[in-house]
Formats: sequence, C-alpha cells, structure tokens
Amino acid sequence: MSLQNFLSRLDQLQSDAESAFSGASNAESLEEARVVFLGAKKGQFKDVQKMLGGIEPTDKRAAGMRLNEVKNAINDAFSAAKEALEGGGDSQIDPTFDPSLPGTRPTLGHIHPITQTIDHLTEIMGRMGFEVAEGPEVEDPWHNFVALNIPEDHPARDPLDNFYLAAAGVSSGDALAETGEGESLLRSQTSTVQIRVMKSRQPPIRIISLGRVYRPDAPDATHFPMFHQMEGLLVDRNVTMANLKTVLRVFANNYLGDDVEIRFRPSFFPFTEPSVEVDFLWNGTWIEFGGAGMIDPNVFEAVGYDPEKVSGFAFGLGVERLCMRRHGITDIRDLYSGDLRFLEQF
Amino acid sequence: MLVTLSWLSRYVDITLTHDELVDRLSLSGLNHEGSETVDGEVVIDLEVTSNRGDCLGHIGVAREIAVLTGQKLKLPTIEFQESSRSVNDLLTVRNEFADACPRYTARVIEGVRVGDSPEWMQKALQSVGIGVVNNVVDVTNYVMMECGQPLHAFDAAKVSKKTIVVRPGRKDEKLQAIDHRDYDLTAQTCVIADADSPLAIGGVMGGASSEVTEQTTDLVIEAADFIPLSVRRTARRLKLHSPSSFRFERRVDPRGIDWASRRACQLITEIAGGTVASGVIDTGSSIADREPIVLRLSQLARVLGITIDAATVERILKGLGCRADFASVEKESTSGGDSSTLQCVPPTWRHDLTREADLIEEVARIHGYDKIPEDSPIPVTPSSKRPFDSAMSRLRGVMTAAGLSEAMTPSVVTEKIDAALSPWTDRPALQTRTAMLEGSRRLRRSLIPSLLQSRAANWASASIDAALFEIAHVYLPPAPDAKGDDALPAETYHVGMIIGEDFFAAKGIIETLLARLGITGLLQVETVEREGFASGGLVALKVEGHDETLGYLGLLDDSLVRSWKLPGKVVAAELSADLLVAWAHLVPQQQQISSFPSIRRDLNLVLPESVRWDGLSGVIRSAADERLTDLSYQETYRNEKQDGPDRKRVLFSMELQSLTETMSGSDADSIVESVVAACEKELSAVLMR
Repeated sequence: MSLQNFLSRLDQLQSDAESAFSGASNAESLEEARVVFLGAKKGQFKDVQKMLGGIEPTDKRAAGMRLNEVKNAINDAFSAAKEALEGGGDSQIDPTFDPSLPGTRPTLGHIHPITQTIDHLTEIMGRMGFEVAEGPEVEDPWHNFVALNIPEDHPARDPLDNFYLAAAGVSSGDALAETGEGESLLRSQTSTVQIRVMKSRQPPIRIISLGRVYRPDAPDATHFPMFHQMEGLLVDRNVTMANLKTVLRVFANNYLGDDVEIRFRPSFFPFTEPSVEVDFLWNGTWIEFGGAGMIDPNVFEAVGYDPEKVSGFAFGLGVERLCMRRHGITDIRDLYSGDLRFLEQF
Repeated sequence: MLVTLSWLSRYVDITLTHDELVDRLSLSGLNHEGSETVDGEVVIDLEVTSNRGDCLGHIGVAREIAVLTGQKLKLPTIEFQESSRSVNDLLTVRNEFADACPRYTARVIEGVRVGDSPEWMQKALQSVGIGVVNNVVDVTNYVMMECGQPLHAFDAAKVSKKTIVVRPGRKDEKLQAIDHRDYDLTAQTCVIADADSPLAIGGVMGGASSEVTEQTTDLVIEAADFIPLSVRRTARRLKLHSPSSFRFERRVDPRGIDWASRRACQLITEIAGGTVASGVIDTGSSIADREPIVLRLSQLARVLGITIDAATVERILKGLGCRADFASVEKESTSGGDSSTLQCVPPTWRHDLTREADLIEEVARIHGYDKIPEDSPIPVTPSSKRPFDSAMSRLRGVMTAAGLSEAMTPSVVTEKIDAALSPWTDRPALQTRTAMLEGSRRLRRSLIPSLLQSRAANWASASIDAALFEIAHVYLPPAPDAKGDDALPAETYHVGMIIGEDFFAAKGIIETLLARLGITGLLQVETVEREGFASGGLVALKVEGHDETLGYLGLLDDSLVRSWKLPGKVVAAELSADLLVAWAHLVPQQQQISSFPSIRRDLNLVLPESVRWDGLSGVIRSAADERLTDLSYQETYRNEKQDGPDRKRVLFSMELQSLTETMSGSDADSIVESVVAACEKELSAVLMR
C-alpha cells in the first residue's frame, strides 16, 4: 500500500469519526459510533492501524506519526462529544480563565445632579397634586416686579441685583441706560411663571415652577449668578397657612426621608403676606429651606382674582442648596463646570 | 443691625436669657445672625428686612422685645432749655428739591465746646461698630443708633450767608465729603448747600468744609427725610453707601424726625454745653395721622387657619404702637359693626402697615407661627407629568446610553463664545447691562459653543474625549421693531450635543433618539453653510412629514476647534427640544409581526458618485412594495480601475417579508428585479453579480 493511500485513508477516517461523534445526539448513538471507529476488535481505526504493516519501511516513520495524530484527534473528538452530551464540565473552561478580572463596562453618560434633584422634587410634589409649569427666563418688568407687588422704588429692582438687558435697537437709543434698568431682564425668580399661569387660568391652581434664575452675585463656593429655583403655588378657596405648613412638612419628610420638624420665621417678600422663612430641623440643626407665604392680595388683584374669594400660598426654594446637601457637593461652581471628573460621579 | 443688650435695657427690661431672647426675635422677624462680646458688652447682630426700617435703631428693637414679653416701652424724656433767640434769626432754609427731600428741619445750637464724648457714649458707639469722632458727631450717631433717624451737624460758621439750600446738583459741581474724597454732583443728586456751594450730599454723607471740628462753636442740626429712590440712586452712582443712606432707603418715621432733632439737642447741650435757639425750621407740611385700617377677626382664621382671641389681637397691635379699638367701628359702621371687627391706626414709623393683610401678619408673627398646626392636609387632586418632561427623560436615557453626559453651562456667554457660531439666527445676541461671569454679557443663541468650551476644558484636564449634552434655553433675538410679548426673545429649549470625530456616530444617536421618541418619519439632511462649521460638513435636519428644521448636525470648523486648543475633529449637533416633543408619540402602538419567514437579499450596485444614499434608498423604496420591511446600508467601495472614474459600489441588504404568506424565492426575485431595473433606469446603476 502506498503512503499516499494510507494517509488519505487516515484523513477520511478522522473526518468520518469527527462528524459521527459530533453528530451523535445521545449517549447510545455516541457509544455505537465509538465502537465503529475505536472498537478494540473491529473498529475502523484498528483496521487502518493494521495497514501500517504494508507500508514501505522508508515511509513507516511518517505514516506512524500521522497515525498517532489521527488517533489523538479522534480520541479528542470523542471526549468533546461525550462532554457535550453530558452537559459540559469544568474542563470546558480554559484553566487560565480568571473570573475575578474586571468586567467590560459599557460607556454610559451621566445625568446632571441638578436634573436628578429636580426630578426628585417634582416627583414628590406631583404626588401632592402639583404639576410643573414653566415660563420664559427673559421677562419684562411687569411680570418680574409689578405684578409681584414690587413697586418702582423697591430695592429689589436695583440694577445691582438684576441682569437688565441693554436695549436691542441702536437707532431707538437707550433711554434707560442712565438708571441701568431696562425693558427686559433675566428673571430673578420663578414667581414670574406663577403670574403667567394665574393670568391664563382660573383657580383652583396647584403648580410648581422650575427653572433657571439670575442674580448678579459674585461667584464663590455657595454663590453663582445663575441658579435654579422651585416655586410652588396653590390657589383655591379656603387655603390657609396651616395648609402651607402641612404641605411643606410632608415635602420635607419625603425629601429628607425622616420625620422632620419644621418652623416658620417671619420674613418679607413683596408678593406674599404674611411672609416666612422656612426651616427644617434635621440632624439636630435648623436648616434654612426657603421662603414661603400667603399670596398677597395685591398679586391676586394684578392677575384679576378676587382676594376676598380666593386665597393661596406660595413657596420657593433653591434647588442647588438641596442638591449640594444631598450629594455632599461643597462648591456650587462645580455644577456648571461641565467637568466630566465631576459629572461622572452622579 | 448691631444692638447691645445694655443699650436695649434703657428702653425695656431684658427678662429673657440671651439665647431665649435671640430665639424669640428670630421667630418674630428679626433673624439672629450672631452674637459676640465686645469689651464686656453683648452685641447682637439682627437681620432687618427691607420693610422694617423702624428696627434700624435700638428703640425699634426694644419695642419688639416689649411686645413679645408683655412690657411697656420706656422712652427717654426730652428736656432742654431754649434760648430767647429764635432759630429764624440765625438761619434760613430754602427747599428747592422737595421731590427728593419732602422735609428738611434745622435747629441751631450756639456756644458748644467740642471735645471728647463721655466714656459711656464712646463705648456704646464702638460696641455697635461706629467710630468715635467728637462729642457733637458722636451724639448725632448715637441718636441715629437709638431711634434710626440719621442726623447731620454742620459747623454754623461755615454756612455761608446763614442760608441752607436743598437743591439739585449743578453741572460740574463737586463736593469733598468727610471721607476727603471728591464726588461729582448731578441734577439727580440732592445737594445740601449754603448760599455759595455744596455742603453735603443729602441723606448720604456730609462735606469736609462744614464738618464739626475743635474750633466749632455754633451748630446747625439737620434732621430730614430723603426719598428712598433718590438716595439709593445717588449712593449707587457714587458707590457711597453709609448708615444714613441705608436708613433713608428704608424710610424714616416722619414724626420721628423732630424727636431725633430734639433728642440730639438735649444730649449735645448736656455733654458739650451751648444753648439751643428757640424753635425749629421745618420745610414740610404737618404730619397727618395714618389712615385707619379695618381688621376683621374672621380674616385671621381665613388666612392663618387658627383663631386668635380679640384681646390678644388688641394687645399685640397696641404693643406695636397702633391705635386699635373695637368701639370706633361700632360707632361709625352703619351696618352695625361688632367686636369681631377692629379699627387700627398704624404708627407713623410703620410704613409697611397699610392693609388688613399687613395687620394679619403682625398679629401672626407676634402671636407665634408655632401656633399654626401642621396637620391640615390639602384635598387630593390628580396631577400628571408633562409630555415635555416625559420626552426629555427618554432623551436623557438615549444620550446617557450613548455615552454622553449631561452638562449645565451658563446661559450668558462671552463675546468669543457667542461669535463662534449661530446656526439658528443672524440677528445679534441680546446683551445684559452687567456682565455675569468673566465679561459674559451675551444671551446665547446656540448651546454648541458652550459645549465646545466645556470639551476644551475637559481636554485640558485630561478627560480627552468629553462627550456632552445639554438641555437648556437659547434666546433668539426678536425682530428690531417688535412690541409687547413679541419684544421678548424667542426662547425655546434646545438639546445640544458634542462628540469627537465621528459624524455618523452623532447622526446615529439622533436617529436612535427619534425612534425612541416615536418619531417615525425618515430623518432627512440638507447640506447648508454656516459660519463655525466645516464647509460642506453641516446639515440641517428635517423629518419627513414636517416642514420645520429640527436642528443642525455637523463637523465644526477646524480653525474654531484649534482656537480652543483642541486636537482632532469635533462633531456637534443641536435640536429643537420643543419640536421633538411636538412630534413625539410617547405611547407606542403595536405593529403586527409577520409569522412568515423573511428573505434577505444583498445587492451591490455600481453608481455614479453623485448619487447619495437618500436618493438611492428613495428609488429602492418606491420600486419595492410593502414587503420590503427593512433596507440597510452595508458599505461603499471605490475601484476606479474596474468601474471607471466617479463611480462607487454601494452594498446594501433588503429584508423581504409578507404579513400574509410565506414568500417564495421567485417572489423575492421579482422585487429585486424591479428594484434593480428602477436603479438602472433612474440612477444609471449597474448591478454587480
């Protein structure tokens, strides 16, 4: 028998055996295939092995090496098929497999902590029936001051405390440049939204307004000329300060996740009367939460409501302060840096 | 406002401990900012809200303590001898600027001996942070800190022609103030002058020329009322804020003016000697009582949610200086008033009390807000999330899944940032009068430049490839001739995003976003040119079925990117969030799923270079029927040797599937044939087999 024939017979045997083993669907058929190919007496491998005797002595060495390779391959194929049928075993896994290596993580972006805080606040207020309302950030003095009961000589209108816009048209001149005031300004509070909502709707009203507000504070760790406010407004018949206190206490309990004590301190806001500062007792200290009060009758009159028939309350708080307290952020400027080393932490 | 305990105790007994006292004051409206002990004096810092000018003196604070502790306020008795000479023989006052100064009063004291003030007064002033000057100036400051009325003493010898004129400043007029700096006076400045030249800036600061010195023997004591707006504007213009301007800005007690003037005369003559000329010069009219306010007790319950008994209400209002009585309403009311209605005349020092609501607050804060219960729930009412918020929450989901992080950057930007690019409008940006941060005055017209700046800052701090997005307003300037609400800028939410290099990565994020929002129309691009973007690399984005431009997507101009010291290419996009919300279908509707197998066919067409994918896919879609369920682009090859110049090979796959039957190979073949035929005919395509 020529070496060539012997080798091709071996190849044929290997491929037949491999497909027979891998095609075996259960232990019985695998065993049958094993007998056919590897059977000690009548197995095909034995048959081929016997042919080695007929090979020319000069080719015997090459033929023997190849015979061994095929034997190992067929045995491997049998073991693999056996393991596969037995449902696999430890030996399927490469012994170098190190499951303690770190996982391959998808690259996810991060949602800004202020957004997360706003979502949290709106969710809590939503459960108490408050819906979100929004309005423009560039306002006219009527919405930002007049309707909010802030008269012309009020210090809150001071150009040092507001971002008035310069007049747009150069041709029309800028009559207000002397005083530093203007026909429009970046809103200094989100109460402007409450005016817009009350002007367009009738009570009952239950809204929170959220958004950016602007005041010319020099930036430092706790001040930034742009920040976010959340203001709540409830107008209905028979709304009292006791309702206000109750809503704020429920809010605080929800947000801080504890039974929180609350107190009112008198304060002054032109659009509420009485006006109070709200403090929460948290971890043994009183924390300033924000301002609140009963809607001033002048505000109701400005939007066309009868203050003898309706009453209401409003409250406002700085979103940044709550966000920073919750996440242990110590410098407000980090919030607006766009720095990934900061953003990635949230 | 700094007060000392010992000074307060001249008007009211301090029966509470320090901690109890500051707590009660905080909870009734004078917030405790801190306390310290200076030279044995306990000094308390109280925050006085801008409506409570009456508490900018010790007496005002003492009155609060008196009503809180149920005591009667003890006011000093003013006694001094007047000489036989009338003030009118010694001085003339002309008020030519009543708009800024509704009342100017003057008294004259002759023969004082200027020297040091007594130790008790020096100590009192120093403990509340007022510098000691001499016994006359110290008395004027002492009286201001006592009752809140600023005073000024002039050296009478320096008042030319014994005439004081209250008038507007004149052109090119200057005054050297007692801080020895020169200030420009304008027609808006209220100037106190003599017959020749300015002596003081009314309500703000005195002048150096007429200040009281060791040589002074005769004094003019000014006690006046200046209009808050006028004082504030002058103080602001001159950057000269004084304890006087602070008090005038918060309004003084019109009746307290004369009290303060007499009190100063009393103390000066006691301490520095001299005699007070008889009478006073007063340019104002007599001071009427305040209008009475009717307080219905029922309103207390309506606003506060608690009832407060009539006796308590009366005690509180009287303690605050109101004339309050139930009887007068009864007498005057034709409908027969009763004890549930109270008439109240507020004191002249309480400018903030003009309405019933103001009295309700007074009663509430003194009675105590702690009495208001916190178990008064509001009725249950439904509320729902706005579509905008739902859509933005999905948008954030897509962006973060794509690896972009949300940034928040300032709305007002520098000229450099604003000038970088503005794809939405050519109108110049609106500007603020005062700069916000580092010279930022411009209301941004696009979010992209701010994000580019953030990307650059991140690069500099080793976050090499910052992929960022932001949801914020942009401010598109109104037409120059717009009026009313139209004169406000068009302010809408935009979504800006910035990533590195890959245009199609950014486009894919936008495509995914549209799908996630249920916007099913095809995304269409139209190449446009805008400053700041690479020429040919910017597209306006539209969605099939809508006319408006949804946004812009493109490669930024290389020189712009370099100007921020960023390497490589930068891709940016900005979409109108409002349009996304308007077009979104946030409640998905189930589409029928075919239970029959699909057939996939890959095609390879040789096309002229000028045929874009949108042209090719359009031809394919219209040539195929509804059984073409998916068309996906695979690859483009170019092989000039085989296909000739300006030709490219585009590989794509079509998924074919019927909802009603199993498609046969020949069904698929016929669709493929019509697609190929259409591409050959309309696009000069050649099918590679």
